[in-house]
Amino acid sequence: MADELADTGFMVIAVALEQNKEAIADFVDGITYPVLIDANHTVTELYSITNIPTVVWIDENDRIVRPNTAAPGTDTFKDFTGVSCEPHMDALRHWAHTGEVDIDADEVAGAVAGLSEGEVQARLHYRIALHARRTGDDEAARGHFDAAAGFAPHDFTIRRSAMPLTGGDPFGADFFALYEEWQAGGRKYDGLPTPT
Amino acid sequence: MGEIVVLAENETRVAGEVIDGRVRVDGASLDKALGWELKPQGLCRGEVCVPVADQAALELDGGYDLAAVASALDSTALVDADLGVVAVSRSGAERGAAVHDMVAPELVLPDLTGTQVSTAGFKGKKKLLVVFASW
Repeated sequence: MADELADTGFMVIAVALEQNKEAIADFVDGITYPVLIDANHTVTELYSITNIPTVVWIDENDRIVRPNTAAPGTDTFKDFTGVSCEPHMDALRHWAHTGEVDIDADEVAGAVAGLSEGEVQARLHYRIALHARRTGDDEAARGHFDAAAGFAPHDFTIRRSAMPLTGGDPFGADFFALYEEWQAGGRKYDGLPTPT
Repeated sequence: MGEIVVLAENETRVAGEVIDGRVRVDGASLDKALGWELKPQGLCRGEVCVPVADQAALELDGGYDLAAVASALDSTALVDADLGVVAVSRSGAERGAAVHDMVAPELVLPDLTGTQVSTAGFKGKKKLLVVFASW
């Protein structure tokens, strides 16, 4: 789809919340658009992202025209995640061809509340945890991963992302428990829902 | 003088020490550590300056309290004295750009070849930013 829309002045920028590129090696085969590795989760701080996949539409002047949206991206992401969203892709095509966004200006403003103080604090602990882990101090890392989880219990970019880094399974029991907590907490997503 | 690891926009090591849980660094190290320089007109980054009402309040033992400087930038700092590490969030203005101003913040991150790429280089294109992971 990225190729299909290339003539319209449209491009995809993929940002992976991973500690290394090997983690997404399966995905990137054949991809020609930029795939950036965000080990320190910079994008989650600057764009107030607490779950993935999240997409943001940014226009030619670097203005956000469709804020944080719970959608998997283009068809290539469907192969990787097993999740598709035709309505999002249709809206994307329309925007690429016409410049028209599928939501109103009043839906754009205030769509994202921004990170809470707890979510900011969680990111600081997470950052130190990553540093400790890289220097081989697993005990210190664990302490900071746990503190991060305490500050942002429903932030998947804090809790689920830490599972493979601490011997947990992001597709197993740990994840199911997190998902139940999230459900019980109201299934919150700070942004626009999946287009239908 | 020891060394402090600063985990901010960049990861840097600067001369400094932890005194009673507070991180003290030289004024000259602030730019390297935080990307902001302390000038008479305030804390400055490129053309932007944040006025500081009371610069003396940022001082600590002949140097500067890193967390106090961060606070002046509407940033939050977290010190781990045992590790000699301090993590610093982006400034409130930087974190508010996307949410309040609908301005897409620049990302500078390595691509799959390890080359640093700035998203600002793609101005003039419509961009679908997709944030994803293997987990």
